[in-house]
Amino acid sequence: MIQIRNIYKKFGELEVLKGISLHIKAGEVVCIIGPSGSGKSTVLRCINRLETPTSGTVIVDGYDIMDPRTDINAVRTEAGMVFQQFNLFPHMTALENVTLGPIKVRGMKPDEASHLGYDLLTKVGLAAKAQNYPDQLSGGQKQRVAIARSLALQPKVMLFDEPTSALDPELVGEVLDVMKKLAIEGMTMVVVTHEMGFAREVADRVIFIDGGQIQEQAPPHEFFAQPKHPRLRDFLSKVVGQG
Amino acid sequence: MAFQFEPAVILETLPMLVRGLWYTVYLTVGGLFFGFLLGVTTGLMKLARRVAISCIASGYIELIRGTPMLVQAMFLYYGLPMAVGMRIPPLLAGIIVIAINSGAYIAEIVRGAIQSIDPGQTEAGRSIGLTRAQTMRYIIWPQALRRMIPPLGNQFIISLKDTSLLMVIGVGELLRTGQEIVAVTFRAFEVYIAVALVYLAMTISISKVLRMVESRLASPGRSKQ
Repeated sequence: MIQIRNIYKKFGELEVLKGISLHIKAGEVVCIIGPSGSGKSTVLRCINRLETPTSGTVIVDGYDIMDPRTDINAVRTEAGMVFQQFNLFPHMTALENVTLGPIKVRGMKPDEASHLGYDLLTKVGLAAKAQNYPDQLSGGQKQRVAIARSLALQPKVMLFDEPTSALDPELVGEVLDVMKKLAIEGMTMVVVTHEMGFAREVADRVIFIDGGQIQEQAPPHEFFAQPKHPRLRDFLSKVVGQG
Repeated sequence: MAFQFEPAVILETLPMLVRGLWYTVYLTVGGLFFGFLLGVTTGLMKLARRVAISCIASGYIELIRGTPMLVQAMFLYYGLPMAVGMRIPPLLAGIIVIAINSGAYIAEIVRGAIQSIDPGQTEAGRSIGLTRAQTMRYIIWPQALRRMIPPLGNQFIISLKDTSLLMVIGVGELLRTGQEIVAVTFRAFEVYIAVALVYLAMTISISKVLRMVESRLASPGRSKQ
């Protein structure tokens, strides 16, 4: 589904990614963890070309996203993105946030789109908030609307960039529950997160990135039980110590 | 002869200013209408990825902001005809001056408002597959427009007052009309008070109207809570 081959990314002099290769199969749930500044978000953002890798190839659902002939807007609809800061459109209702993509990108009729929108808001448990504006929603509710907004394009992959990091602790659960539901339904997911519990429970594979490189990857039971890399052991002891 | 203030003259002067008032309104409305179009166009051009396009916009903005409007008006009305051999009618020249002048300032207002929108909004728009143009139209522009209203109001008031400079190219606007009345009545004190009051009434109306527009456009979520 996603093939990342040896990508490098430089921001000026700073080399954030130093040769990352990663294959993600359809239906797989991959969690990426690592210290801040390690490049884990950048990897995610390279998948739908919010960042363009300096070199290397990224292939999403058969599209080479580095190829200038590729219609990047079409690829982006295949890979839904959920942001740390939600990035809901504040001037639109929850429903309008969800239906904008289907109407403008897919050319869906407004009533058909609002049908779809209600279905998706129901799925994330927010049908009652369809007519509310983002400012009237809690952080957890905003993030669930944002997930519905991405799902509205019927993407083949969902990318989550620290989806619960900006939330109050008591609101984290409701977002993770929605994500678990998606995972169970077989959605391919790449999740950059600090939620070790989620990674342990839901992921098929956990990846540790540090210093712009993949240091370790393994199924969660193995990953958390026998971390091999010393830096991962160090990282886990700090994170688990907090949690 | 001692000066004697006669308030009644102010009231008597007001009806005589009506004709000038209309010219001031034509200049302001016409100038700002085209100035807004020009400002939006050049403001967007300044944000363009192509360097040539943004340079054209920057050049225009710097040229206009860096020279006095009075000089621009004199050049357009007296200077340019020397070269092209044709004089533009004063009212049209006045509208053009207000348009190109306000356009430069409005361009900066537009650019600033657009750049003040969180880049995450653009990313969210692009990530659901919208094109750059669609993202601008449906996501960035509606939010930027709200932020433009207060500085635009400011600019509208400045441009309205600047129309008084256009008396130098012979547009019979408010100040010039007042001056003509003074030439006949010699009541400068009262007449210029009357002129000032008319400007004040117009600027206050602009503020009022824009405040209404602003509350109409206010973020729906915030006002309803």
